[in-house]
Amino acid sequence: MTPRSRTVAIGLHAIVSLWTLFVLLPVFVMVISAFKSQAELFTRPLSLPKQFSFAAFERAWGIGISGFLVNSLLVTALSVLIILLASSLAAYVLARSERPVMRWVYVAIVAGFAVPLQSVMVPLYQLVSSAGLLNSRLAIALPYAAYGIPFTTMLFYTFFLEFPRELEEAARLDGCGRIEVFFRIVLPLSGPAIASGAIFQAVFNWNEFILALLMLTRAEVRTLPVGIYGLTGQYSADWPALMAGLAIATVPLIIIFLLAQRHFVRSLAGLGK
Amino acid sequence: MNRPALPAGSLSASAMMAPALILVGVFILIPAVVAVVGSFFDFSMTSATWTFVGGANYRRAATDPLFWLAISNNIFIVVGSVITQVGGGAILAAILDRGIRRGSVVYRTIIFMPVVISSIAVAFVWMLILDPNVGPLNAVVKALGLSPPRLGWLGDPAISLWMLLLIAAWQNVGFQMMLILAGLQAIPKENYEAASLDGARGLKAFWYITLPGIRNVLVLATLITVIGGFKVFDLVFVTTGGGPANATQVLGTYTYTQAFSFGNMGYANAMAVVLLVTAALLGWLQVRLSRRA
Repeated sequence: MTPRSRTVAIGLHAIVSLWTLFVLLPVFVMVISAFKSQAELFTRPLSLPKQFSFAAFERAWGIGISGFLVNSLLVTALSVLIILLASSLAAYVLARSERPVMRWVYVAIVAGFAVPLQSVMVPLYQLVSSAGLLNSRLAIALPYAAYGIPFTTMLFYTFFLEFPRELEEAARLDGCGRIEVFFRIVLPLSGPAIASGAIFQAVFNWNEFILALLMLTRAEVRTLPVGIYGLTGQYSADWPALMAGLAIATVPLIIIFLLAQRHFVRSLAGLGK
Repeated sequence: MNRPALPAGSLSASAMMAPALILVGVFILIPAVVAVVGSFFDFSMTSATWTFVGGANYRRAATDPLFWLAISNNIFIVVGSVITQVGGGAILAAILDRGIRRGSVVYRTIIFMPVVISSIAVAFVWMLILDPNVGPLNAVVKALGLSPPRLGWLGDPAISLWMLLLIAAWQNVGFQMMLILAGLQAIPKENYEAASLDGARGLKAFWYITLPGIRNVLVLATLITVIGGFKVFDLVFVTTGGGPANATQVLGTYTYTQAFSFGNMGYANAMAVVLLVTAALLGWLQVRLSRRA
């Protein structure tokens, strides 16, 4: 290595390291603040906690985080399940059908991808409230599912186009119906598409805020993001408890991301958040 | 190749199609149509009567300085985000693709991580960092002998929007980096070897091989960032609520305020339609491009 290229290499490392450090700092602040006492946060904002205390986690857990966590798990699991099922079924028909109308159906579903949630919040709120579905954790899974379907359908569609048709034909010769072929042959072999779709939509729905803000107004039914947001009005001064609550909401996702990075990154390419 | 075609009008095909089509129709497409129709009416959240007002809601927007302020803030965020997020993402991706071998997976993983963190968590953590009383940033600035902004980093109308830009970059640069990195890695290595034989290395190779190779990806990354800039809501809503004195008001938060604080549903719909049309046009471009990219 020449001296010049060594200098360049050090410079490049420095740029990337600086940004990496910048990314880590807030996460670090969140975690150490959660272990501090309120007084310590005031007096020693820059230092590590003198002793790691779980008091803030206990306070956060006590004022509602436990309930929000259960609600988030429920809403996320249900919506992801609906998204995967509805999108894979639709994408399969779209990828196999030759009827011209299916092109329009595909356009209609993908069009949903271009509609921002913010632009339909008024009609959506009125729809849900007039149907008497405000404050229902099961009902909110339906619009969550709807907003996940366009992207996931595109994902499955691309996957099914490359799926070997010989397998399906063999099964059909054996007398399997279309739905049977789908559930017994196609779906069990769609692991990569299912994994990508599931992890991506899980992250999205776990973090979703606007719909939850509009639809879940009672504290008992709120998911983590909107639940924690609601708490800050009442407990505004308790930064450590807030950071503890956020850590509880964030750490599971970071772990899932580290474990399933590959699938996550693969499904990102076509997306606008 | 022989495609197993569905029999025309097949019942099972329609049944398989139905859940997706019904959900998208009921919760996305019909509300979008209702938003457009509702933008020509005047109504409140509680009253059941809609009064037709023609284009009045749009005329109101055209003469409402806050609407234009929100639009210009959105544009500020859009332009700033393209520069910081696509620009920053491209620089990091280029370095990680060819400049660095050791540790590149670790860097990549950490830089991407904020993408999976909820914007609410991001907003609150940054509020703590920027807090005038307990925030570590003020402590650092004071320790350096400088004076932090008297109204706070988010409370000073002259800098709050810049702070939001910084937070948005913190969260999204990793996403753009991954997208662009995928584009870079799709460029065949032989192209660089051939160019190197012709004497094109370093910046020259970057200009003649790398840039043309990732042009589509860069356009896609820019589109995604532009759409995100127009749609921004959670971060602004939680950190500043559009304040101080509307300095960070954006289309999303202003629409929300008009609808759910003031009950002007028709007016809110008209502004929502502006966002809808913008996002739909850009989204249509994005879908077309991502199929090619």
